[in-house]
Amino acid sequence: MATARFRQRSSYINHAILIFMALTIILPLLVLAFNSIKPSSEFGANPLGFPNEIRLMNYYDAWVNGNYTQIFMNSLTLVIGTLILNLTVSGLAAFSLAVLNPRGIQTIVVGLYLLVGISIPAQLFILPLFLMWKSLYLLDTRIGLIIIYSALNAPFATFLIRSYMLQLPTELFEAAKLDGASVMQLFTRVALPLSWPVFLTTALIVSLTVWNEFLFAITFIITDEYKPISSILFTFQSRFANDYGLVSAASILMAAPIAILFMFFQRRFIAGLTSGATKG
Amino acid sequence: MNKILNIFLTFILTAFFATSTFAATKVVWWMESSADTDPTVQEMMCDAFNAEQDEVELECVFKEDINDTIRPALLSGSGPDMFDTPGASYIKIYQDAGLVKSMQEYADQYGWQDKLLGWAYNSGVFDGELYSIPKNYETMIYFYNKTLFEENGWSTPNNLEEVESLAAKIKAKGMNVYAYGSAGWQPTHEHLVGNYFNTYAGPDNVYKALIGEKKWTDPEFVEAIELLRKHMVDEGYWSGDLETYYSLDWDDFNNEFATRGSAMLMIGTWGFNVTATNFGETSDDWDWNPLPILNSQAGSAPNYQLATGGTMSINAASKNADGAAKVIDWILSDKERALKVTGSLGYGAWLLPLKYTDADFDPNIDPRQKRFLTEFAEASDSGNYGYTTWTFYPNDPGVHIWKDMEVVWAGDITPLEFMEESQRLWDQARADDALVPVGKR
Amino acid sequence: MPKFLTSINAISWYFLFPVIFIHFFVVMFPSVLSLLLCLTDWNGFGRINYVGLENFQELFRDRVFKKAVKHNIIWTVMFLTIPVIVALIIAYLLTGIKRGQLFYRLVYFFPYILASIVNCLIWRYIFHPRHGLGGWFENQGIDFLAKSPFAMKETALYAVAWVDMWHFWGFLVIIYLTGMYQVDDSLYEAADIEGATKFQKFRYITLPMIRPIFVLSLIIIIIWSVPTFDYVYILTMGGPAYSSEVVANHLYSQAFQRMNVGYASTIGVMMFFYVAIIVGFFAILRRMGWEV
Repeated sequence: MATARFRQRSSYINHAILIFMALTIILPLLVLAFNSIKPSSEFGANPLGFPNEIRLMNYYDAWVNGNYTQIFMNSLTLVIGTLILNLTVSGLAAFSLAVLNPRGIQTIVVGLYLLVGISIPAQLFILPLFLMWKSLYLLDTRIGLIIIYSALNAPFATFLIRSYMLQLPTELFEAAKLDGASVMQLFTRVALPLSWPVFLTTALIVSLTVWNEFLFAITFIITDEYKPISSILFTFQSRFANDYGLVSAASILMAAPIAILFMFFQRRFIAGLTSGATKG
Repeated sequence: MNKILNIFLTFILTAFFATSTFAATKVVWWMESSADTDPTVQEMMCDAFNAEQDEVELECVFKEDINDTIRPALLSGSGPDMFDTPGASYIKIYQDAGLVKSMQEYADQYGWQDKLLGWAYNSGVFDGELYSIPKNYETMIYFYNKTLFEENGWSTPNNLEEVESLAAKIKAKGMNVYAYGSAGWQPTHEHLVGNYFNTYAGPDNVYKALIGEKKWTDPEFVEAIELLRKHMVDEGYWSGDLETYYSLDWDDFNNEFATRGSAMLMIGTWGFNVTATNFGETSDDWDWNPLPILNSQAGSAPNYQLATGGTMSINAASKNADGAAKVIDWILSDKERALKVTGSLGYGAWLLPLKYTDADFDPNIDPRQKRFLTEFAEASDSGNYGYTTWTFYPNDPGVHIWKDMEVVWAGDITPLEFMEESQRLWDQARADDALVPVGKR
Repeated sequence: MPKFLTSINAISWYFLFPVIFIHFFVVMFPSVLSLLLCLTDWNGFGRINYVGLENFQELFRDRVFKKAVKHNIIWTVMFLTIPVIVALIIAYLLTGIKRGQLFYRLVYFFPYILASIVNCLIWRYIFHPRHGLGGWFENQGIDFLAKSPFAMKETALYAVAWVDMWHFWGFLVIIYLTGMYQVDDSLYEAADIEGATKFQKFRYITLPMIRPIFVLSLIIIIIWSVPTFDYVYILTMGGPAYSSEVVANHLYSQAFQRMNVGYASTIGVMMFFYVAIIVGFFAILRRMGWEV
């Protein structure tokens, strides 16, 4: 970065503006954090500030009252299930587009198909899909939602993985073919091991999307037992509306896993989301 | 050795077949689940039933969102023997599709028509036969802070002038007239609309409009809506102003009433429990009254709007319909037990519409609660009852009545336009044969 | 086995088959069904009656739908301006500082990774008339600010948009940063030598150089603003009095509250046409040589 003298002087103003904007983000989050450890009696007198009395039991209550172990498992099941299905399916497709026939007609056809797929608003197909799922008895099941999520994330995942695989050196594939490898082995022995970074990135992005997803979650899963975190928090906040400490703690419990993942992998997250957006 | 083995085997096999043939028929009942009440229901209803006889084994299954799970179950031809629904409009749909079993033969056999209050029995009759029985009923009343009224020398209002002058006095003291809020449940608006329809236009007129003899655009209904609009928007009767009403939820407005933020609470009978609890922690005393009649065309005595909260029915595909009928009869036959059960649930659930008399009550019951149960039974059985929108409106007009009330309050449409749209939706529902049965008045 | 079935070409299609199948089954097929269902008056479990274009006629008379479309347009315009400008400025400022970059990036991006429900809970609390800022204002005696912006019909839509914008502009910042980093430093140095002000550098170097990413972000915003649903649904459900109703919300209530399957599909079809026109428009521009 060029650091001309001009920039030095005005860097104070720069920082001031940046800090101000950062505060608009941090302060509301702080309110959430404070509320999550505030006993409910304090909310009337001290709605926004740091609690006078710290009540960590809010977290315990949220976990137990909200049956969070079950809920966490639900969300986790959705994430892992989607990852397995989605990465497999998209990985195979990306391999085909990138390695098997990079300049073939597939790229155009599939590319066009998936491009149209991205522009279709969820509302166009959510209702017929709901009715289809009902008749297939996939409604109110986690596997049903996993299939949906895999399909929804397929275009993005395929594109992302493909753009990475395009950069794999073709000599490796040639060499393996000479050694008598079948096409599937090319995929499993050569492409997969080399592509682990993009699979990791894709896994992170897809996990984020699935964990936070709301519309399909509240539509397709109805029994409380199977609900993932996003829909439970929605019913939670109306059922326990007035215990803000509880609801805040529950929200943090929901955000925490993703936040932690984000902290560890933030470079990949950001790279994945932005390149996906630009390629899409 | 072989001989002994043979005898042994024969004995085992006989015993096995004997017990299977004499085994109790199993009846599965899907009930609407509610975390606070489920254990009590299990114990006092299901287990008690099983303990008292051997012929039928009742299995109660509590389902959250039973509404959405029952449909596929019924359609698939399996599903439970008995099931709950939130109300008559749902039964209508299932009955149309042939998924509910007619209970007429059982009703005649066991004499249910005599055990249930007249309007309750009628509410489950479709095409001349009984298909559902209400499990619970509610109505709209209001609570008031008795101590506060005594301190200020206020008396409870009996007509519109008294309501408005009392409201002015309350506001002059810096309090809200009624506490209420819709943040937790947007359809709350329909409670207020129903209240004004029944206390201003009157149940006779509402009944005529429900069966199509009158139009919803007739002046008494339009005026009722205008009055509601005036009281909400111009006068801010409910929690001070429209926006606050939108933002308060269940706990907020109950707290407001208990802490003298407002003098009265206009709510359904499901508010008994929480009011009693909240006021138990204060030094104030509370009481309830039926809603005051706001216009003489609504009758000379207060009426109680009917709301059935949940029904029980038998699955058409059930193989143990007789057993299910036995369960139902057991439930309807013992008034004392029924009161005990609903008493342990705070009278907010399982309040069966039976013909309660003084003798059936436990002496420990809160006299206010008892007064309600007896007065209601008497009044409603003699015809002083009205109609809540959520029990008697078909789906589309039902949603419109509360969703678009906001538009009236916002001043974007006039009460007349609002009622015109309501009439249009009613005509449509009538044409689609989607109406909810209204028992004869 | 005939050669064409095992040739590379065929195999490459096999590999593509799972993803196309699953996507077709979940997205394409129901979408086509929607296109057909919009010509009926089905209610989900009864008879299906063909009614032709009646749903479309009713749609054009639907006051709520028109309001929703208006709100969507307002929403798109808001998102094309406010978060974009804020993000551009912030991203540009960020390129100018050395220390703390990582910190700022993490902070700004954080709301984007939070679930919509969590963001809504935060802001609904802050705007609550009793417990939040409203309560604080009321205590100070400033009554008119004490009401929740979600409960007033004049402000409901904007309050909801605010929460979504708060969650979204960090994403834009990161995207613009990525673009700005790709700008060649030598250009800036040359400008410095000529004594250009910060603003001039921004206008004549940064903006043009990030144009592809910038225009792409605008397209993304337009396309993503059509099905916007979560925030409206959670915060206001389209109220009060339909003042914050958006098209996606309207569809949802028609479909799942009123079970007007045919009518809801009509709304969905309209939404699709809207997006298709936009995408097609930009595709054509690209075809014609515009640098997009």
